[in-house]
Amino acid sequence: MAQLRRDHDQFVRRGAQIIVIGAEDAAAFADYWKANRLPFVGLPDPKHSVLKLYGQQVNLFRMGRMPAQVVVDRAGVARFIHYGHSMEDIPANSEILEILDSLEPA
Amino acid sequence: MPRVEINTPAPDFSLPDFRGRLVRLSDFRGQSPIVLVFNRGFQ
Repeated sequence: MAQLRRDHDQFVRRGAQIIVIGAEDAAAFADYWKANRLPFVGLPDPKHSVLKLYGQQVNLFRMGRMPAQVVVDRAGVARFIHYGHSMEDIPANSEILEILDSLEPA
Repeated sequence: MPRVEINTPAPDFSLPDFRGRLVRLSDFRGQSPIVLVFNRGFQ
């Protein structure tokens, strides 16, 4: 999350919106957003409705959901999908910014 | 477990953000690309 915040202006420059979805409740999101001054949209999904819709993997051995990233273009089509296999398995911002650069301009 | 396929429409959803404002993925259509980040550990 810190790396996303660090490069947030580069996402803004490309007109992109970052939406973070997690299973925590609204209070946990609010605390975390305040403590870390995050500029993104934060969606609590305690019923796991969107998490399931997108097939976020549950790793029972590690007792939790693995990270995933999806880039959706302006037409609503998924152009990049990464399902992590561990909490550290997150693509670099540069990889996501490259995908954004390859999308049709507005 | 369903998975989203690349180059297919991303499933639409709407959820209130933690401030209570409804966010619908399709509202961004034609406006801006979206980076969806699924994570955990916000506490």
